[in-house]
Amino acid sequence: MRYQPVIGLEIHCELLTDSKVFCTCQNEFGGSENTRVCPRCSGMPGTLPLLNQGAVKLAAKAGFATDCTVHNYSSFDRKNYFYPDLPKAYQITQFESPICTDGYITVCSGKKIRINRIHIEEDAGKLVHDDYEGISMADYNRCGVPLIEIVTEPDFRTVDEVQDFVEQIALRLKYADVCDARMEQGSLRVDVNISIMPEGSTEFGTRAEIKNLNSLKAIGRAIEYEIQRQSEILDNGGTVVQETRRFNDNHGDTKALRSKEEAHDYRYFPEPDIPPVQFTDEEMEEIKKSMPEMPQKRFARYTEEYGLPNDDAKLIISSRAFSDFYESAVKINPDYRQIANMMLGELNRNLNDTQSTIEDAKFSPAELAKVVKMSSDGVISKNAAKDILTIMFNNGGEPESIAKEHGFIMDNDASGLEEIVDKIISENADSVESYKSGNQKIFGFLMGQVIKAAGKGANPQLAKGLLINKLK
Amino acid sequence: MSLKDLRAALDSKQISAVELAQKYLDKIDTDDKKINSYITVCREGALNDAKAAQELIDSGNSGAFTGIPISVKDNICTLGVKTTCASKMLENFVPIYDATVIEKLKKDKFVMLGKTNMDEFAMGGSSQTSYFGGVKNPYDTDRVTGGSSGGAAASVAAGLCAAALGSDTGGSVRQPAAFCGVTGLKPTYGAVSRWGLIAFASSLDQIGIIANSAFDTGYVLNGIYGYDCNDATSSKKSEGGYTSLVGSDISKLKIGLPKEFFGDGIADDVKEAVLNAAEYYKSLGCQLVECSLPSLEYAVSAYYLISSAEAASNLSRFDGIKYGYRSGLGEDFNDLIKNSRREGFGDEVKRRIMLGNYALCSGYYDAYYKNATRIRTQIRQEYADIFEKCDVILTPTAPTTAYKIGQQENDPVKMYLADICTVTVNIAGLPAISTTCGYDKNNMPIGMSLIGKAFDEKTIIAVCDRFEHDFARKEADLK
Amino acid sequence: MFDIELTRHLAELSKIEFNDEELNKMTSDMTDIINLMDKVCEFDNSKKTYALDAVDYNNLRKDNHSDSYPTEKIIENAKNVKNNSFVVPKVV
Repeated sequence: MRYQPVIGLEIHCELLTDSKVFCTCQNEFGGSENTRVCPRCSGMPGTLPLLNQGAVKLAAKAGFATDCTVHNYSSFDRKNYFYPDLPKAYQITQFESPICTDGYITVCSGKKIRINRIHIEEDAGKLVHDDYEGISMADYNRCGVPLIEIVTEPDFRTVDEVQDFVEQIALRLKYADVCDARMEQGSLRVDVNISIMPEGSTEFGTRAEIKNLNSLKAIGRAIEYEIQRQSEILDNGGTVVQETRRFNDNHGDTKALRSKEEAHDYRYFPEPDIPPVQFTDEEMEEIKKSMPEMPQKRFARYTEEYGLPNDDAKLIISSRAFSDFYESAVKINPDYRQIANMMLGELNRNLNDTQSTIEDAKFSPAELAKVVKMSSDGVISKNAAKDILTIMFNNGGEPESIAKEHGFIMDNDASGLEEIVDKIISENADSVESYKSGNQKIFGFLMGQVIKAAGKGANPQLAKGLLINKLK
Repeated sequence: MSLKDLRAALDSKQISAVELAQKYLDKIDTDDKKINSYITVCREGALNDAKAAQELIDSGNSGAFTGIPISVKDNICTLGVKTTCASKMLENFVPIYDATVIEKLKKDKFVMLGKTNMDEFAMGGSSQTSYFGGVKNPYDTDRVTGGSSGGAAASVAAGLCAAALGSDTGGSVRQPAAFCGVTGLKPTYGAVSRWGLIAFASSLDQIGIIANSAFDTGYVLNGIYGYDCNDATSSKKSEGGYTSLVGSDISKLKIGLPKEFFGDGIADDVKEAVLNAAEYYKSLGCQLVECSLPSLEYAVSAYYLISSAEAASNLSRFDGIKYGYRSGLGEDFNDLIKNSRREGFGDEVKRRIMLGNYALCSGYYDAYYKNATRIRTQIRQEYADIFEKCDVILTPTAPTTAYKIGQQENDPVKMYLADICTVTVNIAGLPAISTTCGYDKNNMPIGMSLIGKAFDEKTIIAVCDRFEHDFARKEADLK
Repeated sequence: MFDIELTRHLAELSKIEFNDEELNKMTSDMTDIINLMDKVCEFDNSKKTYALDAVDYNNLRKDNHSDSYPTEKIIENAKNVKNNSFVVPKVV
């Protein structure tokens, strides 16, 4: 039988705060074991949580970034379970009244994927396993790192939709400085809930939850594997069990994590140590106003107003700094296409060659705008513009003086050029002969000789016209 | 001697801080074996504290608590000093930080005599569930002290400290104070920081004071109250000056007597003594107002569901891994913690954890936990209604006086019902003070409670002080 | 009705080991206790549930980190430590 997968996501994102969510330990990745720990985050008796305003603010921003309703009132609850990476044996989270609800993201297929909620919670510690001694060792550095969990409705039907959604979430959170979204470091982790149903059916099947996927590729592979696994079960007349599974990147398969689901009663109840949080409308408005323009808005503007091809627009928005650079440049010189071309061509090539990012650029958006302007005004040739950009990239400097210094200013005086054309024709009699007898290809060679002799400042259009005339 | 007089004696050098500390330590050495009120006595620490205090006194910079010998309930974290919660689970636990109340008293260089005995994790009303043995009542060592701050109350009653810090979740300061014939103050929820108080039920727990008089409880509260950025539930509404109304005219006050507190479950001699106290206030000119707390019938059940639910969660952290008792048994993580908790916790603690998880678990949550919180809202409302008509409320502190050890501690339902007079105060977050208002035929103290409006400790302290002024207390005699 | 199966379930949630005798005793204690607790089920469930007073966003702790505790302090009360970490029997 053919099946239709039904997929929902739970995405955990570590927030870019300075301190942890319920204590003042530093929120930073890594570090030696138990060096960023205090009585609070290690769950010492008698300690109490102290909610971090920064974490609440970033959670609100995540809501604005995903078109959620961000609530003036939200409260905290305890989720109770025992695990050695959770020192209090409960996780403080938001269950009854999360800070954000009812958002959405439009994915590549054009479908609106609904976001059920975004809530604040604390991360757990890390376990290192020692197979030889048969022990696990708990490090609490990550305990209390602030997280948001983004929970979607089961609206996905394809891997492409899922991957696009995750990419968009990651990008928006990066734009809003909410999360650095480094999946490989675990600062953005995806749980996939997936079930299948016969094509055409509307009744969802039993779902499996695949935990902690840490790359787009792993998400895709895990979903493909699950679809196949569940299909085989159903085809053989079996039933899918509701369970938590882990994806093994080496084998490309998923395995059940816990067989005993009986202890799966989290006994949520209101956290008595943390009063609910109340925003005034003004405070909320201020956070909203601090939001940068989101990438999908920029994409729409670039493609609809600026006339950029979709692929180019997507490339530009893929980094906020890169996109900001573009924004600043086109504000000065609204030559949207040429500036995009220059950035995606010459600038990106230089960035790739030097393994650097736009933040390292030695020139300003205004200077880039100027180079493009000089080119479009015919002050320098297109090739010269690229050369100037590379010089600016390596050494910095002002475009006009670079152009002058390196002789890039186009010489529009035809008399000097005519002499050179005559000289090249007389020196290359064979080639001229060949051209005249119909070998069009040889024109390029002759043209090259002219430009070479004329220098960087030669006007290629002018030279081409002269050469064609003289060869008639 | 009152704390004020002790202060004067120290400042005028009638006695040195070290002599005073030594005097108390000597008394503890001779008398505490009879009542078992201390789990840990800080013999060396107290003398060091006293030396530091004397230096401060000599420099002329003494504060309210400089050199004052105080006992601390063993569920309040003290840096470097074992804090056991009277449990095998924390038998060897040494906190790495001080509770806020301790920090505040340390600024003044108080003298910490030791850590007092209690019901295990403050769960109980007898102080008999301690892993370190039960506490005995200084008035009759065959009888219980009440609890859970039984060690605190007994240490004050037996003269083994000048004042004591306790904690009150459902009556744990007031009821043992009543049983041991001393004064116990439970401040408004949020008046004193809970940072460092090992949580039993976070929404009900409050650090309280047991002392020889209402004035002394106010004296100590002046030193420990206040908003603390370490405790998000602590309040900025407290104003201090808790003894400021002592001696002022209270004759215009209206005193409410909620009829449900004088019903069938209350022993006749208790009822009589409390009503006599009401007559005393009337004779001063106070107006007695009959009022009602109709939801009292739900209070014990609601209290036990809420407090046990929170306790089940709060005590989950005791798994033997980070601190505390770790069982030698257990092949895997699950077995290890189940055995550690089996061996580390006593029966009553286990019952509360089981009850708490019952209240919270799927299928029961709405009927039990949620309804209990509805009752909580209702009781708060009913108190608010009473305080529309009254300034303070007068009730018995406990249905009976101190009973014989072994008489009822092993019957949980009986024990729970005995909390009827105290739990609503915690449910509503109000301040209340208990003092002795009479003695029964066995010469055991009878306690009455004065309940105040939120953050109005100073009124109940003044009203209580007025009564104590004209009441002849009998001293406990430890023979 | 409270029965031994429910006690077992709660014991699992509570992570407390009981032997058979203890389970029976606990079941009997819990039966009496729940009997008392059943009183709350009579209460009018249209009434409002309780919540703490909210705190204004502006009054929350500002996001500034400070020093953590020395590692040796954090682990000094633990019975079994290796590599400055808390040791448990191997999980999954």
